[in-house]
Amino acid sequence: MSPIVRVQGLTRRFGRRWALRGIDLEVERGTVVALLGANGTGKTTLLKVFSTLLRPTAGRVEVLGSVLPRDQDYVRAKTALMTPTGHTYEELTGLENLRFATHMSGPPLSDSSLHEILMGVRLENAANTRVRAYSTGMRKRLELARMQLRTPELVLLDEPFVSLDEEGIQLVQSKISDWRSEGTSVIIASHRIATATAGADRIVRLERGRVASEETA
Amino acid sequence: MNSLMRQTKAIFWKDIITETRTRQGFSAMVSFAALVLFLFSFAVGPDTDLLTQLAGGLLWVTIVFTGTLSLGRAYQSEELAGGVQLLRLYPGDARAIYLGKLAGNLVILTTLELVLFPATAIIFHVDLLPHVTSLITVAALGTIGFSVIGTFFATLTVHLRARELLLPLLLFPALVPVVLGSVGATDAFLSGDPLGRAAGWLQLLIAYDVILFVVCVWIFPVVLEE
Repeated sequence: MSPIVRVQGLTRRFGRRWALRGIDLEVERGTVVALLGANGTGKTTLLKVFSTLLRPTAGRVEVLGSVLPRDQDYVRAKTALMTPTGHTYEELTGLENLRFATHMSGPPLSDSSLHEILMGVRLENAANTRVRAYSTGMRKRLELARMQLRTPELVLLDEPFVSLDEEGIQLVQSKISDWRSEGTSVIIASHRIATATAGADRIVRLERGRVASEETA
Repeated sequence: MNSLMRQTKAIFWKDIITETRTRQGFSAMVSFAALVLFLFSFAVGPDTDLLTQLAGGLLWVTIVFTGTLSLGRAYQSEELAGGVQLLRLYPGDARAIYLGKLAGNLVILTTLELVLFPATAIIFHVDLLPHVTSLITVAALGTIGFSVIGTFFATLTVHLRARELLLPLLLFPALVPVVLGSVGATDAFLSGDPLGRAAGWLQLLIAYDVILFVVCVWIFPVVLEE
């Protein structure tokens, strides 16, 4: 089976600054990969390229067998990205945010299904509270709930453990484990080594926009 | 319902809910518009005949100024939610983002005009009642023209650092036909249209609105990707 992500010589430049300097990487289907590195090493840029948010400056990027940016519509339909700040609207309640996301994603889920998803991330009591009143950890949980509205083949998590308490971290780890058992590939970008590598099949370390090392966990 | 319609409705609904829950923003826009109208009336002076003659032009300049502020606000909630580019990650036609935002801007601007037209009548001593139907037609066409091009340029400049400055710089020249048509038709109707010029201005507005809408909808996905 072909890898879900195959990258050769990927570079990405922002003005004069090189964020990625020739990345070669392959991610097998159904595996969990931890992408580690200090701030500014290119983790977020790499995930943004995989999710089609950024175009590569040079190099070949193949995601789900499709070459980017040519086949990006197909990749978008099968990929889910969690950003560090999340994609939730402050003036909407938690439930309304999910309602919006489900209408944007495909045939919408019913409110009872959305309530169940909120219950799964322990936000059932805050379903009708506006997100502006949520703590950072609650926002992260809502983002996790939003990720569950679709059944993606590739999940990209950018700093998913930041601002979470122990219970929140366990929730994310349990969801990662569910995705893995469903055959979904997961790439986690994090600088929290111990948390990110727990349950990972492979660990890739980035340094100054390059792959510094790769090891099987 | 197809995905374009469903996503358009979702974005429109989200923007309207957000706007109704941040009412202070809308109140500030109404206050700003009223202030601009008052400043114009002070600048023109106490000559009521002159005020009446200039009413159409000053009203539409006020709508353009206030509408430009409203366009900036339309993307504020997206920026707080991580940026409009994240909406691109939902599968489907990117035109839904444009159409949803456009519908939201139309509703907000129309609500603003519901306040501005009566305010103009009071401040500039103009009797709007005999021309209500004609003025509603002009307002609808002018508002559509403004929102169609304004939503497009607001998206184009959303990621730029100096967007507050660049948006009017790009928008105002493109709005010249809309402003000319709206002011011309408003003036013609308010003066009883003795020369029969209103129809020509309305035709200009209709033609410009249709052309702009087709072009903006067509090239929006490209603009969003870049």
